[in-house]
Amino acid sequence: MRRSRKLAALLTAGILSLAATACGGDSDNGDADDPSTGGGDAPSSDIKVGMAYDVGGRGDQSFNDSAAKGLDQAVEEFGMEPQESEAEDGEAETAREERLRTFADAGYDPIIAVGFAYAASVGKVAKEYPEVHFAIIDDASLEAEPNVASLVFAEEQGSFLVGAAAALKSEAGHVGFVGGVETPLIQKFEAGYVAGAQAVNPDIKVDVKYLTQVPDFSGFADPAKGKTAAQGMYDAGADIVYHAAGGSGGGVFEAASEAGAKAIGVDSDQYNTADPAVKDVILTSMLKNVNVAVYEYLKSIADSGGEEFPAGVTTYDLSVDGVGYSTSGGFVDDITGDLDEFKQQIIDGEIEVPTAP
Amino acid sequence: MSTTTAPTPATPGTAPVSVRLRGIGKRFPGVIANDDINIDVRRGTIHAIVGENGAGKSTLMKILYGVQPPDSGTIEINGTEVTLSSPADAIRAGVGMVFQHFMLADNLTVLENVVLGAEKLHGIGGRARAEITRISEAYGLDIDPDRLVEELGVGARQRVEVLKVLYRGANVIILDEPTAVLVPQEVDELFGNLRELKEEGLSVIFISHKLDEVLTVADEITVIRRGTTVTTVTDTEGVTARKLAELMVGSQLPSPSTEASTVTDQVLLSVRNLSLPAPGGRPLLDDISFDIHRGEVLGIAGVEGNGQAELVEAVMGMRPGTTGTITLAGTDLGPLSNRARRESGIGYIPEDRHRHGLLLDAPLWENRVLGHQGRAPSSRHGLIDRRGARDDTLRIIEEYDVRTPGPDVLARALSGGNQQKLIVGREMSGDPVLLIAAHPTRGVDVGAQAAIWQHIKNARKEGLAVLLISADLDELIGLSDTIEVILRGRLVGTFDPGAVTPEQLGSAMTGAGESA
Amino acid sequence: MTRLVTLGLGILAAGLALVAAFAITSLVLIVAGDPAGEVWGEILSWPESRNLTNIINNATVLYLSALAVAIGFRMNLFNIGVDGQYRVAAFTAAVVAGEAWLPGYLNTALAILAAMAVGAVWAGIAGLLRASRGVSEVISTIMLNFIATSLVAYLLRKAAVDAEGSNAVNTKPVPEGSRIGGFSIGDGPGEVYGFVFIAAAAGFLFWFVLNRTRFGFDLRATGRSTTAAVANGINVNKMVLATMCLSGAVAGLVGLPILFGSQFSYGSTFQSGLGFAGIAIALLGRNHPVGIALGALLFAFLDEQSNPLQILVGVSPDIVAITQGVIVLTVVISYELIRRYAVRLEQQRVARALAPSAPTPPPTSGPSGEAEEVKA
Repeated sequence: MRRSRKLAALLTAGILSLAATACGGDSDNGDADDPSTGGGDAPSSDIKVGMAYDVGGRGDQSFNDSAAKGLDQAVEEFGMEPQESEAEDGEAETAREERLRTFADAGYDPIIAVGFAYAASVGKVAKEYPEVHFAIIDDASLEAEPNVASLVFAEEQGSFLVGAAAALKSEAGHVGFVGGVETPLIQKFEAGYVAGAQAVNPDIKVDVKYLTQVPDFSGFADPAKGKTAAQGMYDAGADIVYHAAGGSGGGVFEAASEAGAKAIGVDSDQYNTADPAVKDVILTSMLKNVNVAVYEYLKSIADSGGEEFPAGVTTYDLSVDGVGYSTSGGFVDDITGDLDEFKQQIIDGEIEVPTAP
Repeated sequence: MSTTTAPTPATPGTAPVSVRLRGIGKRFPGVIANDDINIDVRRGTIHAIVGENGAGKSTLMKILYGVQPPDSGTIEINGTEVTLSSPADAIRAGVGMVFQHFMLADNLTVLENVVLGAEKLHGIGGRARAEITRISEAYGLDIDPDRLVEELGVGARQRVEVLKVLYRGANVIILDEPTAVLVPQEVDELFGNLRELKEEGLSVIFISHKLDEVLTVADEITVIRRGTTVTTVTDTEGVTARKLAELMVGSQLPSPSTEASTVTDQVLLSVRNLSLPAPGGRPLLDDISFDIHRGEVLGIAGVEGNGQAELVEAVMGMRPGTTGTITLAGTDLGPLSNRARRESGIGYIPEDRHRHGLLLDAPLWENRVLGHQGRAPSSRHGLIDRRGARDDTLRIIEEYDVRTPGPDVLARALSGGNQQKLIVGREMSGDPVLLIAAHPTRGVDVGAQAAIWQHIKNARKEGLAVLLISADLDELIGLSDTIEVILRGRLVGTFDPGAVTPEQLGSAMTGAGESA
Repeated sequence: MTRLVTLGLGILAAGLALVAAFAITSLVLIVAGDPAGEVWGEILSWPESRNLTNIINNATVLYLSALAVAIGFRMNLFNIGVDGQYRVAAFTAAVVAGEAWLPGYLNTALAILAAMAVGAVWAGIAGLLRASRGVSEVISTIMLNFIATSLVAYLLRKAAVDAEGSNAVNTKPVPEGSRIGGFSIGDGPGEVYGFVFIAAAAGFLFWFVLNRTRFGFDLRATGRSTTAAVANGINVNKMVLATMCLSGAVAGLVGLPILFGSQFSYGSTFQSGLGFAGIAIALLGRNHPVGIALGALLFAFLDEQSNPLQILVGVSPDIVAITQGVIVLTVVISYELIRRYAVRLEQQRVARALAPSAPTPPPTSGPSGEAEEVKA
């Protein structure tokens, strides 16, 4: 008689987690031990970093992973002691708060919250633990908190560059954008991309499609939807499609491959991580270097010997290589000159990229 | 297979014993169990086992067919002691069973039904067909292996069941109440088949509570009462049904016969041109009209499935799509819902008390409320009056002799007869003017049967109109003032119970007299 | 007396189920090489007052969800759609409360009524389909869950307000005066939702309506036997519709403790999946308001206590999802076993009570005591 996703999930969780633990029991938390057991050449530090991931956590091949990469780098270089925990899908606000409190109570300082879903929780817990330091990625609403560092990105700037690349490379004068979920954050990608494309070709046609709407976040993890959306654009005549759709991007690449067209990746250099069968369709990727932000944040703490913690909003933009574009595959080698010129103009403030469509 | 045995003429008392039960005991909480059952069934005989409902016949047969293990005692089949822990064991030992409710797939052919589950014996093709034809001819079963079961009548289906058992090599055949679903003519045919079987040296165990039939066909009769064997009659000459019945109940038998007529000329229930069309078939009810007067019991006779259930449901307002008028004491019931009809004075004893009459997992007092939840003493101002309902349940328990420790017992824990008495008591509450009783004594013991008959007679005496549906012709004849016969949704004949015989009714029920 | 026995058996069944669930979870932990002792030590430690607050708050939400499911269950209706119903309803309440057409608590009351109405309508669609067209409510409510997700997503985009620097999407916040205040227990941060009293009242009403009213009787009778209900004058189609609507109305309350007690707006981080947890808890609580309360507390306790596992013990809190899943299974099994045992007990009791004094008439036949003696 029954029937529910959650119930089924409850029931199968046992088997799955058994399997998961059996196959790769070290993926979740084994890293915690590495620095201390790693041998004499690793520097050591008594800084304990708490890392609260969003849903998906380490291994999501997307932005949690990028944050994890920054953490790993910092741990290796500065010998910090990390601990990680990840969010459950659809969890209560209190669960996020408790995650942060547990870190704080266990002596972790700083605590990095990955993703804007933590905004409210960080705002609340930061007040409860004024002596502990927090960082939050992708949210700038907590500027006023003295113990919170907001690490945000100028996604629109990076998107501007890949938009320009798309326009330069498009033979049809027609490109597309597939957003995972229509949030203000993803709209920044769209705005920059459209602006960049129009900067090159004012008459260019840009198809825009979002896979789902808040609070349905499945648009970030539904390759089938991504493929359908991209197929529609290629069928309509677009020859390059940029996706800002997390895991759904795989479907966009597939559609591009089938249509003999090109696509643009997002967040990391997807030419290196995508399925080898489709990587040649990846013209370039818009790099959002969450790892850089995390690493830089931890580095500034390490440099001060754990005495000083950054606070306030730090925007990682083109000027600090917080965002950018990738050149793997060599498909954009012929236009890097143009792109770098745009980049300089943005850094110089000659071009102001819009943040909302 | 029986063919290896030389045909042995039936000589009761001398033929070898094929089934010997000794000291069989079985206990269940709260129900009558088997206790020290001793039976010898001889080869080439028809051995009847009789007893009132609940006497333990079914339990005994389940034990013999391996459905339930006995707590004590031994079973010998053809001289070998066996342990039957599943029907498969029983079949292997040569015991086969024909259930009261046929276990046939309608949309398969006879052949397919017979080989189903026994594919290993003779395959599923020509060899199986030849074997079926051979058995059919050997025992005069008259079965065509290639007909669809759905095309067969009840009697033929029953013969298919018998054939299934024979096909599997049984030499002991148990038939559980085989005549319950048959009309008198079909009963005679069945008995002819059974006699063929015993001529061929098979043993037939025949379970029934219809004593006349038992006396007609059985060579030996074992009477069971309260789970134990009372006696075995080896010489059926000179034994009367009355004598057997007294052995069964251990006392004088109550009779359904009605006292002096109380029929008045005041019509209470008037049904006119009642029809219920069936999509794409002949109507379930076809232009039915009748009146029931104050103080009259109208009996409806018919083979099950000829529209009795639909007639009751139409009067109760449970069948959308009926046409015609139904008037109760001058009120047109047409626009009224089922509940409104009940509240306007209909008491209803449903055919299937487990499915329609009771909430088995609810206490008795809640069952008292059921169907009366809109009325005192069950409810007040939309709230259930627990105290009122409990008190009234106690009254019913007292007045209708419901054997229970109290009103908080779950209905499931009561015996069938006591459940039925509770229903009768409930339906007689709230001053009904019409009582609809569908098979009111089906599956209840003789004691409760007598009590329920008495309650129906009392209702009649108090001036109720009673619509009685029954498959038990004796009951119909004994209780009714008028009998209508229903066939294929139509009323086909009116009979005076004082003058009609079961055979006449049987002819009308099967349409034998229709051509006239 | 018998009531006590029934209650005792119920507690025994739940206890057995829990022990079995814990044993199975431990086995999983041991097989996977995780420290079972530490995990249980962490989970079963006495929660701090702030955790206690969270447990009560989450239990409140789960309680309402399970209550909504239980209303359907009592009539053998499987309202799988509580999840969709509460999301549509919570969104509606957030918009109504955010718009603040009425002042103060009038605004709150209006929002609550709106939520219940929307939940009832949403569930009522499934009820109507079932009653008029025989569409299984399981299928239709599941489909309605999907539709609810899309509908809320579509509408949220229109109702969303942008906060400075935030990437979250939320409705307009509920004004201060319309929020439902809480109370503190202990000294930790956080307050217990004031809504907990509304939930308790809902639980009482559930009990009263089901056990004391005609409507409740009809509902339970239909649940126990549709055929008997029909034969006894209960309009089953009407009951299906009414029950689904009632279930949906209660489902409409599910998100409101969060809305009025902590988050004050509906948005991207609003808790989801509560309807499914409610199904498990309704089963666990045997559809009884007190049982459901205990079940909700247990689930909330496990959720809360498992949260720090990853940080402190290095074990994924998913292990608790296993425990919860296993509890549901073992509970169903043990309730069925105990139910059968109870029926047998009852039959024995009836047999005992009737044996000495009530031989079946006519009394001239052998008294039933005879058989007893022979047996003994």
